[in-house]
Amino acid sequence: MRRNLLFLLLVLLVPFSGQAQEALVIIAHGSLPKTDLATVQRLYTGRILSIAEQPAVPINLPPGNPLRQQFLEAYLEQNEEQYTGYWLVRRYVGKGTPPREMASVEEILRFVGSTPGAVAYVPQSKVPKGANVVFKR
Amino acid sequence: MNHRSLLTGVLPFLVAFAQPVQAVDFNWSGFGTLGYVESDESRNYQRFINDSGTIKRDSVLGGQMDVKFDQHWGATVQARLAPSDHYESRWQAALTWAFVSWRPSDDWLIRLGKIRLPLMLNTENLDVGATFDLARLPQEVYSISPMTDVWGVSVSKSWLAETMEWNLEAYTGRADPYWRYYGREIRDGNPTPGSWFVPLDVASSGLVLTARDIGNTFRVGIHEVNASRVGAQSQSEIPYRQVTPSFGFYDMLSGSKVDNLRIPVQTMAASISLPAEVKVTAEYARMKVDSASEGLTRWGAYLAVSKRIGAWTPYVYYAKTKSSGGALDLYQDIDASAERNRRGSTLYNYQKMQADIVSPYDQWTGALGTSFRLTPRSIFKAEWAHTQTGVASNFVDAPSGGNSGDMRFNIFSLSYNFTF
Repeated sequence: MRRNLLFLLLVLLVPFSGQAQEALVIIAHGSLPKTDLATVQRLYTGRILSIAEQPAVPINLPPGNPLRQQFLEAYLEQNEEQYTGYWLVRRYVGKGTPPREMASVEEILRFVGSTPGAVAYVPQSKVPKGANVVFKR
Repeated sequence: MNHRSLLTGVLPFLVAFAQPVQAVDFNWSGFGTLGYVESDESRNYQRFINDSGTIKRDSVLGGQMDVKFDQHWGATVQARLAPSDHYESRWQAALTWAFVSWRPSDDWLIRLGKIRLPLMLNTENLDVGATFDLARLPQEVYSISPMTDVWGVSVSKSWLAETMEWNLEAYTGRADPYWRYYGREIRDGNPTPGSWFVPLDVASSGLVLTARDIGNTFRVGIHEVNASRVGAQSQSEIPYRQVTPSFGFYDMLSGSKVDNLRIPVQTMAASISLPAEVKVTAEYARMKVDSASEGLTRWGAYLAVSKRIGAWTPYVYYAKTKSSGGALDLYQDIDASAERNRRGSTLYNYQKMQADIVSPYDQWTGALGTSFRLTPRSIFKAEWAHTQTGVASNFVDAPSGGNSGDMRFNIFSLSYNFTF
């Protein structure tokens, strides 16, 4: 009985580490059409600059942001170290610089709403009504 | 800085300031390596490495400014502080890149200005130690091309397949590098041992095909270099001059000269990711030079295996380079011809200098090292390498009265590599 109580106490004290993450969706300025996973991957790795021949400007959150980590794992199948390493090489072989970074989801939402071509990832619950969701994994 | 450097270095900024301020995105970054290396041999190896230890072989500090004018136009300027390529004791600040780039669509990229050539897998980023795990890229291969940067134009076209990205890059340009010679007894125009640097005027063109996906890269390239000495012709041979039936000597001055040397270079490389975070990299390059420096006709190759274990990436590699058999024979024949004269005599010294001008390469290196990634942008590296020379090695500054053949030495390297 005492053992069961101890177990119950532990269960209650230990925070839920396996808590489900909220899904991220890809939103874009209204000028951009729906897209696919391969295009999102190529956009965030600098291999393309457009979606369906429309100029696209990918936006990232800064390193260390949990949403960025979630995006890298879910959409690019990389971790922070691999992604930073990829851009480190790409920059120093003269093939461009990483996507522009913005400090918060709120800043990103404002930018995407007002900038033609802007593309970003945000948690599904933060997607404003009427936003242009171009891809969801 | 010459007028070309000045013009192209300033050009990106002129273009930048011609744009509306809010449209231009400036992105600054820096990189550096603080590297210490020591060998157990008193003779200099790769110019600087000896048993006294040095930071000059691997240390470098650089900065890069990437300017994005709009979606299609950009410019990059990179400057670097490193040991001089034409003075032994000086450091040199130089522009390594200064180009304007135009990407009219996703699959085309055109760069105009000072560009680094896509020779080997890490040639373009060789100054940025944080981008690769080896403490020092194997010089058996990475030293083969006479230069890595040109003022010119590069056009590349990409194709995106299901998983692979294919890229075909064509470039053409000019450079004014220096070629270093080392004389054991005398130098060109100086009766003491030491190095001298020959200024060259080089035009280079090439075509490089690269295929890469997230973990693998394959590259093959053909390049053609046309090199001439600045203000002088190049000796194309070192003939033997028979003076009497029993006496003769090698005499470069009686050989033919050419205005221009055509130097074909071929490169091949593959870097493959295997299960269990193992990576295998192999690169091969060869070059043919029809000049008195016949030893520059050589091949070089290496095979490296690394395994990622958390922040650690231990690796081993084996590298080898060898000049053509004819060049190694010529070096030995001239050296033997010199030995038939009294040591220190004019003819002895002259013969030895000609043997040195042949520039023979015959050596292998086995290395065991590791990198430790402190952060995604900084790496600590340590390496032990063992090198053995065969007939001779132009990487070694051979002692007076001796040569660089049949040497064995160990090289210990430590470096901290960072970007910011």
